[in-house]
Amino acid sequence: MATVTLEGLTKRFAEAAAVHDLHLEIGDGEFVSLLGPSGCGKTTTLRLIAGFLQPEEGEIRVNQQVVSSRSVLVPPERRNMSMIFQSYAVWPHMTVFQNVAYGLKFKKLPGDDPGTRVEKLLRLVHLDALKDRYPAELSGGQQQRVALARALVVQPQILLLDEPLSNLDANLREEMRFEIRRLHEEFRITTIYVTHDQAEAMVTSDRIAVMHLGKVIQVGTPQEIFERPKTTFVAEFIGRTNILSGKWREGGKVDLGEGILVQVSARERYAQGESVSFCLRPHNVALSGSEAEAEQRRRSGYNLFPGVIQRRIYFGDAFDYMVELPAHRMALRVVAPPSQRYETGQKVFALAHPDHCVIVGES
Amino acid sequence: MEAVGRLRVSGWQGIRNLDRTLPVWIGASLFLVFLMLLPLGWIFVASLQTEAGWSASGYAQVFTEKAYLKAIWNTLIISFWVGGIAVVIGSLLAWLVTRTDLPLKRTIRALVMASFVTPPFLGAFAWTLLAGPNAGLLNKIYRSLTGSEEALFNIFSMEGLIFVMALYSFPYVFSMIANVCELISSDLEDAANILGANKLRVALTVTLPLAAPALLGGFILAFLHSLSLFGAPAILGLPASLHTITTQIWALFQYPPRLDLAAAFSVPLLLATMLLIALQKKILGRRGYSTVGGKGGERRLLRLGIFRIPALLLVLGIIALSVFLPYWILLKAALAKAWAQPLTWDNFTLENFSFAFFQYGDTQDAILNTFKLGIATASAGTVIAALIAYITNRQLFWGARYLTFFALAPLVVPGIVLAVGLFLAYARPPIVLYGTIWILFVAYLTKEMPIGFSQAETTFKSIHPELEDASRILGANRLGALRDVTAPLARTGLIATWCFIFIGVIRELSASILLFTPKSKVVSVVIFDLKEEGQIGVIAVLGILLLLVSFMVILAVQRLVKREVLATRE
Repeated sequence: MATVTLEGLTKRFAEAAAVHDLHLEIGDGEFVSLLGPSGCGKTTTLRLIAGFLQPEEGEIRVNQQVVSSRSVLVPPERRNMSMIFQSYAVWPHMTVFQNVAYGLKFKKLPGDDPGTRVEKLLRLVHLDALKDRYPAELSGGQQQRVALARALVVQPQILLLDEPLSNLDANLREEMRFEIRRLHEEFRITTIYVTHDQAEAMVTSDRIAVMHLGKVIQVGTPQEIFERPKTTFVAEFIGRTNILSGKWREGGKVDLGEGILVQVSARERYAQGESVSFCLRPHNVALSGSEAEAEQRRRSGYNLFPGVIQRRIYFGDAFDYMVELPAHRMALRVVAPPSQRYETGQKVFALAHPDHCVIVGES
Repeated sequence: MEAVGRLRVSGWQGIRNLDRTLPVWIGASLFLVFLMLLPLGWIFVASLQTEAGWSASGYAQVFTEKAYLKAIWNTLIISFWVGGIAVVIGSLLAWLVTRTDLPLKRTIRALVMASFVTPPFLGAFAWTLLAGPNAGLLNKIYRSLTGSEEALFNIFSMEGLIFVMALYSFPYVFSMIANVCELISSDLEDAANILGANKLRVALTVTLPLAAPALLGGFILAFLHSLSLFGAPAILGLPASLHTITTQIWALFQYPPRLDLAAAFSVPLLLATMLLIALQKKILGRRGYSTVGGKGGERRLLRLGIFRIPALLLVLGIIALSVFLPYWILLKAALAKAWAQPLTWDNFTLENFSFAFFQYGDTQDAILNTFKLGIATASAGTVIAALIAYITNRQLFWGARYLTFFALAPLVVPGIVLAVGLFLAYARPPIVLYGTIWILFVAYLTKEMPIGFSQAETTFKSIHPELEDASRILGANRLGALRDVTAPLARTGLIATWCFIFIGVIRELSASILLFTPKSKVVSVVIFDLKEEGQIGVIAVLGILLLLVSFMVILAVQRLVKREVLATRE
């Protein structure tokens, strides 16, 4: 059982992404993803937690005990953690069984003898039939399972995963996401998961920490991150989005110009006339061809954007429209069900609920 | 990501948590730096030292005295021609073997490898038997065929020397060009074909320019190789009173020794090699060369058509000059009572073998010394090369990458120059090694460090650092990770490293020739000595022994590596 606290963590490097003054609290048994583009410092953070790197400032505490700081560095082998690597790092000179059993050499666990324990884990990841194979004889997905079993068999306090699925093909990747979540629900090990794939983070995590340029920008449940992004960076990194900018007006409104006033949802108040941006997800916009219907929805509180269909793309399960707003100043991307068919050049009314128009800060 | 587990130490806590392996890494690094700096430093110091004190008079003498200038001039001419011929032969063979449907390609590669493994001094010796002006076999055949009194070839001449040195330099160019040819994908050539260029124009406008940096690089490599050779010029040039820089340095070591002049002579040679290597790096490192690396592209072979057989004959002819003829004459000399007579039953003898192995004390000792040194140097060299390569590859501490420079430094030091430096460094207190076999050990260790290091470096590069990290996070300390993961995975690569160093050591002549003493002779030196005595049969036996052992070691490595590749193939 373990909590992890990262406080003011800083690491500068010539050769890898840096981390600046990073703060993060991870609860016992929680699954947290570090999500961000490559070079944002997420892998560096993970290697700092594992003890492969020493921070220049700040500290890392496990159960409130300092394990890393400028002056303390508990070596990786004494941290009671397991890690799954991007390259799998399955040892090619050992069989599947030997790979999984390796960690038990160093760790005496109560209960089952090591052999039984390994067999159990291999069954759990469906590798019991392949235990005498060498890794070169396994597929990528099977190697990944070996890495998983090897990491779990020692019953670590904390499990670290470094982009474990990025080398797998798309189908397998999807399957393994659920597998990882399933195993987490079974063992409830405190888990830190590094990824650049937002869908992976959404499926697996209790909370997501979005990282950018060596800092954590926002931490929250997948739903919070998706629905209430704090900055344009978060909004754009997680899923497709429209970012619209205008001037702040009294009463929680944003003036987009050309007479369009949008009721938005905001955490804080701004000064009258201050420049602000809000995000609006394409699937949260409804389209209507009838002015009467649109007017009715507007009266019930919806924001109304009159516009013209500029282009249309058919995705099978949806239409992807680009709606041009007045005076060609901006365009709105809208995802609509295939039943809602509009032609290019047609005049339409885009409707969005104020709850879906979320003010975002500059990143 | 790349900085894997640096042993960063800060403050008292850092020292408490200090890795217990740190002394090993630091020790190996200091040893390497010391090994390289001491002899090279001494050369510069000695070149400026005379009995009267500090002065540059050594340099002045080297660059004004006619005989010395002549030696420098000879060296330049010879190296230039050797470089040119080696590029022509080497690139032609490389192109034929990699890009055409020439028959027997694998055999030809193996034979080029054989020329590569043949010590040039042995080749030069064999050619004295083949083309010596009086007794040379080819000349005798020529005379008996034409009735002429003249010799067809005189190998003891500048032309002869260039010819033989080129024969043993072209494999360097070959391997370099063959690599490039294998990387140029046919797509690049197809692109030009589609644009309407014919085969010749494609060759001239696409293939050749792509290969040009490698050709120039190959020229420099062959040039450098011939600059540093001692055996061949000594065997073929000295009888014709033809001195090169290396033989001149050797002569300055003979009684009465002129160490200051030898050192002063070494410095320009050292600077020239440094300059050329820097130039070569620059040429090969340029953008155009690296874009050749389109690895996915397939390569199609050019059909030679009616030229297929003539091309094969040409290739076999070249190989005959570097391998078939020399090996045949060595074998004949080893098995004949009189080497110049036809090898009939009456002329057959095993006396040379029994004499070399059992009767003649010098050769017995030399054989023992050579193999002792080979094993000792290969073992120590592999350990040090592996430690240094591990440090640089895993960036264990700050400045680790500068160790690469020290490990590769001997590349720019011709063997004889290294020997001068080692003599200066270890013939005086505090460390007196001269007169013992240990100075040869140090010389070989230094000289073979670049090859050992590169081999070990390649080995560690192929072992992903995360494999070690995985072991550590599961509970192994650094030493445990090395023992359980790195060592077993590096084993094959390091055995290969051992073998390469071993082969390099047993054929070494140019450093040994200055550092041996009567008590510490090695096979190559004995061959050189016996030549003066005209003990041709014994030389042939020793030469065959060197070649056989080298080939056996290479075959063993190839089988080992092949097994490994099969075992880990995905």
